[in-house]
Amino acid sequence: MPRSSTWEKVEPADWRSTIEELREKGFIFFDFLTGVDQENVDGNNACEVVAHLATKDLSNSHFVTTQVLDELPSITDLIPAAQWYERECTEMFGVKFIGGSAKPLLRHENLGRPPLRKSTVLAARVLTPWPGAAEPEIKEDGRKVGNASRRRQRPPGVPDNWLQT
Amino acid sequence: MKHSFIALIEDKCTSCMLCVRECPAWCIHLDSHTVDVTEEGARRPRKVNVLDSFEIDYSLCMYCGVCIDVCPFDALAWDEHRALVTNNREDMLLGIEELGPSGSS
Ligand code: SF4
Ligand code: SF4
Repeated sequence: MPRSSTWEKVEPADWRSTIEELREKGFIFFDFLTGVDQENVDGNNACEVVAHLATKDLSNSHFVTTQVLDELPSITDLIPAAQWYERECTEMFGVKFIGGSAKPLLRHENLGRPPLRKSTVLAARVLTPWPGAAEPEIKEDGRKVGNASRRRQRPPGVPDNWLQT
Repeated sequence: MKHSFIALIEDKCTSCMLCVRECPAWCIHLDSHTVDVTEEGARRPRKVNVLDSFEIDYSLCMYCGVCIDVCPFDALAWDEHRALVTNNREDMLLGIEELGPSGSS
């Protein structure tokens, strides 16, 4: 583990130049790049992109973050190894990297919304009976035994107007 | 302590359903009923939950520990048991008997 880590938040416009400067300062080990959904943070459905770089001896490391709405310039010409992470971030968080590749790693190209965004409803959650619907006097399938009167609970991540059986 | 198994300490479980609802993998299934218990001096009987079945589907569990964290009664704990390796999905569905902490059975 690096002995000291620092964090920095930059504007999307400064994303590339910040990474370039870091490399010039000796942060030549690229660790990872990923997204963090910010939906519940500021309400505008943004996504934070985080990149982690370290010096060669791993004694210092630096996290750069930026808030993006949907796209960010790619850094793959500066760090070719970042391509895998950018593709993953596109696939899972829907962030496009201009100048990079958008080829999915795991999923089919036309498989709909990025699965790691909170706003994406997971269809399986709607189709699968939720074990949490049970109560001491209500079975998982909603059948009442005894005189249960509690309102049925709803599973997390399933919108109110979606059918749950 | 190895984090290789979620054990249920049956006596402590009140069937409150918190773990079932918080489990991100939806892999805990619990069945219970209520009985009236009349205590001496009490004006009316108290409703008490009785646990009938408690199952963890280890083919879905991702060992995140959320259930252990949320249980207000410390009825769930990390344990060194392991869910068996098997070809049969049904075998990964463990009930109250199999979920007992190591040393208890
Ligand atoms: S460890 Fe996580 S996935 Fe497994 S039963 Fe507990 S809450 Fe569910
Ligand atoms: S949270 Fe604890 S007490 Fe409540 S149902 Fe789960 S194991 Fe039992």
